[in-house]
Amino acid sequence: MENLISPIILYTFCVLGSAGFALALPRRGSKLVPLGMILLGSAFGMVAVSFIWRADRFADEHINGGGGPGLFFYVFAAIALGASIRVITHPRPVYSALYFIMTIIASCGMYVLLGAEFVAFALVIIYAGAILITYLFVIMLATQAPTGGQEGMLDETDAVAREPVVGSVLGFVLMGLISVMMLGGIDSVRPGASDFEPDAVLANLPGKVDKVLAREDLIAENERVLRAEDGGGVLDASARTITIENTELGTTRVIGSDNWPDELVAGNLDRLGWNLLHDHPMTIEIAGVILLMAMLGATVLARKHVELEEALKAEQAKRLGETTLKQQQPSGGAA
Amino acid sequence: MLTAGVSEYGLPASVLAPYLFVSAAMFVIGLIGFLTRKNLIIMFLCTELMFQAAGLALIAFGRHHLGEDGQTFVIFVLCVAAAEAAMALALVVLLFRRRETLSAEAWKELNG
Repeated sequence: MENLISPIILYTFCVLGSAGFALALPRRGSKLVPLGMILLGSAFGMVAVSFIWRADRFADEHINGGGGPGLFFYVFAAIALGASIRVITHPRPVYSALYFIMTIIASCGMYVLLGAEFVAFALVIIYAGAILITYLFVIMLATQAPTGGQEGMLDETDAVAREPVVGSVLGFVLMGLISVMMLGGIDSVRPGASDFEPDAVLANLPGKVDKVLAREDLIAENERVLRAEDGGGVLDASARTITIENTELGTTRVIGSDNWPDELVAGNLDRLGWNLLHDHPMTIEIAGVILLMAMLGATVLARKHVELEEALKAEQAKRLGETTLKQQQPSGGAA
Repeated sequence: MLTAGVSEYGLPASVLAPYLFVSAAMFVIGLIGFLTRKNLIIMFLCTELMFQAAGLALIAFGRHHLGEDGQTFVIFVLCVAAAEAAMALALVVLLFRRRETLSAEAWKELNG
């Protein structure tokens, strides 16, 4: 761990971070929120500077290569962490949900940097496009009757955090533990196999190979990649040779590495699809059952009729009446 | 420098570590939010934040080991998150209609 980040910086980060959250979480009439934000920003900035500074030294002394994660990583990480801090410190739920969308998009940027394009774009569509819209609908459906007060329309539930000091200290104790555990063991994590061949999965996708070869005019109408016993094609990705069979004559020939088309590469989608459908087929079945159950459960829950007690009903009617009265007489302040 | 994250080789430890740190920080931010906010919807939003942090760690480790298992698992987590959001929000609407407040403290009698 010492060659990645010094323990002193890590512990200072935890202290500054917990103090920052304790100040930045919403409180009635608190003037210290900007101070908390500054503390949080300096805590994360300090760690980022430390990582950048160490990465240069790391490059020449470590056997596993080195260097830092690059400029884009720091930009996306700053957006993601800043937006997620705002998710939990903003007193208005709608803004929290919008900042959460920002967190999602920034972390999708990090996924793209890690070479996981499909997951990144699926995440944008599903999370930012579908789940967060559901959240926004519910936030707007379940709007609380405004109770007035000095801070405009804010309700007690949103304007006051529960035990901010205890919560942030506990959180950053956990942060210190997680970082010491993960960064302490990171030198013993084994990297990927050195003989990794990203195009090896093409041997399992003879249909795709056929299509690319036909587009490049490397095979005739009646030729295709030689199918092996298990349905895969005969293709050596490391030697860059493809065995072609003539379906009418039954003869075979080999396309050598000189003619291997540039277009013939296994992208993230090919490898992920093969991994999902071939190596983990049960995942899809379980996910289907979970989604079906969630659909049934949400339907049953949503159509349930709520029987309110008489006293509660009267109270609600009174509160609603007060609100409409308050809105009718324009008293400034609450816009 | 800009393309250090995308190559045919596994991520070196000095690149993996910042990703893990960001993932840990995001998880802890979600945890603090879950502990301190009273609004039920924000609490569920914080669990989504923690899902997101776990997904980032999974994908970074998957990239480190040059496999796709991490991404497969993130897709599964995405399904679970979608199912959870549908169920949890239906429940929140139900609870809201009963008490006319989103505060978690209105349901203190459920603490067992």
